[in-house]
Amino acid sequence: MDTEKSPGLPAVDLGGEDLLEPGTALLVPAETSGYPEDIGLFRADSGVYYALDDECPHEVASLSEGWIEDDEVECPLHSSRFCLRDGKVLCLPAVRDARTHKVQVLAGRVLLHPGTAAGGN
Amino acid sequence: MSIESILIVGGGLAGFTVAQNLRTRGFTGTIDLIDPAGIPYDRPPLSKAYLLGDKDAAGIELAPASWFSEHRVGLLRATVHALAIEPLGVELQDGRKLHADILVLATGGSARPLPVAGGDLDSVLVLRSRADADTLRGKLAPGIRLAIVGAGLIGAEVASSALALGAEVTLIDPVETPLVPAVGPELARRLHAMHSGAGITVVHGTPAGITRTGAGRRIELADGRVLECDEVLVGIGIIPNTALAQGAGLATDNGVLVDEHQRTSHPGIYAVGDMARTRSADGTLQRRGEHWEHAMNTGATAAAAILGQEPPVHGASWFWSDRHGTHVEGVGDMNAEGTTILRLKEGEPVAAFNVAADGRMLGAAAIDGGLMIRAARRIIDRGIIVPPEALADPEVPLKKLAR
Ligand SMILES: Cc1cc2nc3c(=O)[nH]c(=O)nc-3n(C[C@H](O)[C@H](O)[C@H](O)COP(=O)(O)OP(=O)(O)OC[C@H]3O[C@@H](n4cnc5c(N)ncnc54)[C@H](O)[C@@H]3O)c2cc1C
Ligand code: FES
Repeated sequence: MDTEKSPGLPAVDLGGEDLLEPGTALLVPAETSGYPEDIGLFRADSGVYYALDDECPHEVASLSEGWIEDDEVECPLHSSRFCLRDGKVLCLPAVRDARTHKVQVLAGRVLLHPGTAAGGN
Repeated sequence: MSIESILIVGGGLAGFTVAQNLRTRGFTGTIDLIDPAGIPYDRPPLSKAYLLGDKDAAGIELAPASWFSEHRVGLLRATVHALAIEPLGVELQDGRKLHADILVLATGGSARPLPVAGGDLDSVLVLRSRADADTLRGKLAPGIRLAIVGAGLIGAEVASSALALGAEVTLIDPVETPLVPAVGPELARRLHAMHSGAGITVVHGTPAGITRTGAGRRIELADGRVLECDEVLVGIGIIPNTALAQGAGLATDNGVLVDEHQRTSHPGIYAVGDMARTRSADGTLQRRGEHWEHAMNTGATAAAAILGQEPPVHGASWFWSDRHGTHVEGVGDMNAEGTTILRLKEGEPVAAFNVAADGRMLGAAAIDGGLMIRAARRIIDRGIIVPPEALADPEVPLKKLAR
């Protein structure tokens, strides 16, 4: 398990609040965020934005291509589900949690804080 | 009687899931998991990432060793030799006897031997366990001629992995297009064609005998053709491990018979995973499930039933397979009476849907269509009626139809 705390990078403005429809996701490439990994930006059915490392902790799959329902994303390959709020793995075959990144909506803009865990400052 | 101790025989996915779910459901008594292999591991990677060396033994464990101590699940590295009924328990191969209030059988299956002369040679490889995968991996040097009998799921996956490791692969199957029952003829044809496309020699034929030829093997086909190779792997399905259950007088029929709550014919014994076969309340015998998710689902159901809790509701059955860099999935029943609707991309079928006369979806299969299958699954489970034109139209995201 990776417990290393990477320092948070400066926030990236990804666009307006209606950037994504609820229940959809977007890949934020490493080049865009400056973070070493691709990040998945998710909008839960509730309308809240979340971000996780895009690559599934199980094998090679992109979580932003997964199925979003309520505040969970289901991997498009072997169907492990992850909680969008805290990245917790909810069922096998993945056994590791997904890393979260903080997302804020400020003045109508979606701001991604790459490398800062959700719930962190 | 309150339940204080539970013994699980077999620590594959099904047995492990029982233990895990018993704890999440609040059981505080004793749980012991018996398996000669120790820490439970996942089997799908054995023909894929583990065989290729992309994952090691630790990488396929279903939980780390610490999980078992944290959750007080005892792991006994042993083989069960027999079940005991009065009092309920097991006898291990080394003669030790253990007792428990409840027994769960989760012994999976064994590779089905090829029923021809030489099919049972020790030198014929199979793939069921991590040890089998290690043996196979040890033989797969570049240039080695590997013949695989059976081009279903495991045979096809090993063919793809062995090719990637530099082997010269021949894939033999008596059926011209394998996997039709699982994914329908259109996708099955496309999948099977990928083998020859990738450089595998595909042979349509029935093996009639295997003989040793010095260091190599010779496979004779029923039509007289002869294939020379260095190693033979047989992947023609499994036989459920029901010997323990039969020895204890439990009802079996190509699997240990269970009701919808995974209860066997003995009230204190449950059976889960590949080795269990459901007999519905009206007496109909279901097809025995042999897929990953089925093992997990039956384990979850058994845990609930043992504790007298409301069992979880599971949807249509689901499986996947990975080969030649493509991902195949099937959900529901592609065999049930219905009409096939194809979704094409650049003239090639990417998905097939089996739709009943009343418009309900019965089954779906797709190649590299993860989101489509996730949508189809909900359409099936929720009985959503979807217009056939929309299913066929690659421009219509299935997800919209599932909501
Ligand atoms: C190589 C391979 C690839 C697969 N790929 C896929 C895939 O891509 N997708 C998919 O959906 N499914 C796949 N499957 C199927 C899936 O892995 C099985 O359905 C699943 O493992 C069944 O779980 P189980 O716990 O019932 O049985 P198993 O996983 O077979 O576990 C049974 C366990 O019982 C133990 N046992 C047996 N007898 C005794 C005894 N007497 N005493 C103690 N322990 C005993 C064995 O050691 C074993 O660990 C694959 C299977 C294999 C072998
Ligand atoms: S890659 Fe995501 S569950 Fe396997």
